[in-house]
Amino acid sequence: MPKIIFRLLFSFVVFVGVFILIQRSLKPDSFGEYGHYRGNSLNDNKMRTPYFKGEAKCAECHEDVYDMKSMDLHDGVRCESCHYPKIDANTDCEVGPPIVKGTIKFCAQCHGINAARLDKGVPQLVLKEHYENQNCIECHNPHAPWDLKE
Amino acid sequence: MGPKRIENKRRKFFQTSAALIGGTLLYSLIKPFEALAQPKEEEDPKIDKADLPLWGMGVDIEKCIGCGKCAEACKIENNVPIEPFYFRTWVEQYTVKKNGEVKIESPNGGIGGLKQSVPDEDIFKSFLVPKLCNHCTKAPCVQACPVGATYISPDGVVLVDETYCIGCSYCIQACPYGARFMNPVTKVADKCTFCYHRITKGLQPACVEACPTDARIFGDLRDKETDLVTFLQENPTEVLKPHLNTHCRVFYNGLSSEVR
Amino acid sequence: MEEHYRHLYEALSQVDGYIYPNEIDLHWGLMIVLYPYITGLVAGAFILASLERVFNVKVLKPTYGLALLTALAFLFVATLPLVSHLQHPLRAYEILMTPNPTSAMAIFGFVYLWYLMVVLLLEIWFDYRLDFVLWSKKSTGFKKYFYKIITLGIHDTDEKSAKIDDKLGYFITVLGIPSAFLLHGYVGFIFGSIKANPWWSSVLMPVIFLFSAMVSGIALVMIIYMVVSWIRKVKIDMPCLDTIAKYLFYILIIDFTLESLDQIHRIYEAEESFDIIKVLVSGKLNITLLVMQVILGTIIPLIIIGIFQIYKPSEKIRKAAYFFVGIIVLIGIFFMRWNVVIGGQLLSKSLSGFTSFNAVYSGMEGYLMAAVWLILPLFILTFLLWLMPPWKKVTTHE
Repeated sequence: MPKIIFRLLFSFVVFVGVFILIQRSLKPDSFGEYGHYRGNSLNDNKMRTPYFKGEAKCAECHEDVYDMKSMDLHDGVRCESCHYPKIDANTDCEVGPPIVKGTIKFCAQCHGINAARLDKGVPQLVLKEHYENQNCIECHNPHAPWDLKE
Repeated sequence: MGPKRIENKRRKFFQTSAALIGGTLLYSLIKPFEALAQPKEEEDPKIDKADLPLWGMGVDIEKCIGCGKCAEACKIENNVPIEPFYFRTWVEQYTVKKNGEVKIESPNGGIGGLKQSVPDEDIFKSFLVPKLCNHCTKAPCVQACPVGATYISPDGVVLVDETYCIGCSYCIQACPYGARFMNPVTKVADKCTFCYHRITKGLQPACVEACPTDARIFGDLRDKETDLVTFLQENPTEVLKPHLNTHCRVFYNGLSSEVR
Repeated sequence: MEEHYRHLYEALSQVDGYIYPNEIDLHWGLMIVLYPYITGLVAGAFILASLERVFNVKVLKPTYGLALLTALAFLFVATLPLVSHLQHPLRAYEILMTPNPTSAMAIFGFVYLWYLMVVLLLEIWFDYRLDFVLWSKKSTGFKKYFYKIITLGIHDTDEKSAKIDDKLGYFITVLGIPSAFLLHGYVGFIFGSIKANPWWSSVLMPVIFLFSAMVSGIALVMIIYMVVSWIRKVKIDMPCLDTIAKYLFYILIIDFTLESLDQIHRIYEAEESFDIIKVLVSGKLNITLLVMQVILGTIIPLIIIGIFQIYKPSEKIRKAAYFFVGIIVLIGIFFMRWNVVIGGQLLSKSLSGFTSFNAVYSGMEGYLMAAVWLILPLFILTFLLWLMPPWKKVTTHE
């Protein structure tokens, strides 16, 4: 074999060898554990703390409101559909109140007129005609919509 | 015996090692092409997949009222930037006019409630379609990711490895559903995870939690007792863009042919 | 970030029809237009060099070395626009460390390395090895050390070693042709394999990319040859230039045929996506596709060189015409890449609307950066020509 080929092959082998060594050392530890990805990434994705806590958690303290809601038409609407969790999930909701909403604009998200919403069991209103310049919660109790205030 | 012999010996050693490494290289060059077609389902002895759940979602278009609570809840739960260019889930309103024209809209992903912009007398039909990552069994994004920073978890959820993603956007190009985006804060690809941090703790995804009409049904496709399986049994369901053969795990009831 | 949001709000106001909300942001910008453009120049320049060596078109000899060095200079830069467009450029090494075997982009890293390390560097090395040995004896300073190191300690200058160089160089060039095809066909595959995007997803994409690459590479070498001759104040070898132009003509015809075939196929099949593509081509891509790519970049060059095949005007006119043709072909191919990369992202995958492209001047994705990546290879080429001028070579291959 001519010297030139030998020299080149040798350089090639060194190059490939160094490459493989680098590849070995830079590959993350858990890579390939379950597939072509970093196995630890599964845990990273699991680790985050949930914000929304679920009705059961709300009911622990606010049983009365929860019961009232369960008896009325907003039964299917979960607490956190309206009261978005603002506070950190680790702390209790006593630390700060959830965002309370009850404006016309807010209620219109579900009850505003929309052709796609008809016949879905959700009352549809042209809210401005229904009661002008008044927030819905001034008459309706959101936890028991048909329990009208005076 | 002499320098010549040693030279020969050394040469032979180099030749052998060259052949070995060359062989390995050749093998590694050929190997990728075996799996080129699709990411294969890897059998892993460490995880018995039959014991794991297989997460999926059902979306009932007939129940969706387009309030956008799901999209808003998702942004809160997952720290998605509030600007209207980044959505892990959103709601589209389809309006088929009497003249046959189809109008699709989703201002701010439906957050704040969708409003009908077409006058009633022109409407032939109107319906609402919540969209999210379809968690494909044959995910084009996973196939395309150059480094293995997005993957299908053993329980069937397409996830992103935020510490490993290089931000090349190839997965975003490969996703037929527009379900991925480049997060401007973390600068990595971002997408719906079915709220992986919630479902692995026994909770429901935030969008399901926030939906007032139960238009989204989340559950384990393997467990025959769940609401999701009942939903799939009782309704004729369809997936989005079935011709792309992605085998989605998000199933729609009442899907009209106008939906893309 | 504020700047980015402002940009997106502007795009949001320009949306036509319906697009998925995540599609407002165009993820691949100018850098990804440059990447296939520069890679194409490499492949094209290399194939021009192979024409002379493997297909024995001896009249092209004056451009052989120049074409190889041009290919090398542009190949060094080819991946830089890609890396600079990454959101996490420092993680780019992961593509080589944990390449996903199913990803077209990951395998490209290896195709690139193969082409750079095994094909181009080796071919140039075999071509210059003997000269390096001779030059290392005559030169001083940096050049001397460079030549010494690059010979890898092989100092043979006899007839036999020259013959071995020649044989091996030939072998590498033969190997290089499929490699160059692979390199650029592969770039086409990166786009053609995206089934989600109807504007990209086409089996013809790799072939079209390949032929347009050849067109652009040949045009580039033609221009560089003229400029270098002008700077060196030597006479341009007119038969050589005529032959390059002739090959440019042939390959441009093939390229144009293939692209037309692709479009005719789309029009005739008129699949689900055709309605939106029709609007895209006649609307948003009107100028870049029909004017810049087809008329300026294809039809005008075809007419000019076509006429020269029948009637040959004076050398002076031909030179000026070739220079002009080279420039407009390069512009045309740039817009071909533009129409693929940007055009494909303008249409929504919902097939119901379009977003818009707003170019920026500064920043990693801006025009200035693009200009840097286009000018940098010319500096590298100047350096290479200074270091290893093909016209000072003592030896030439058979």
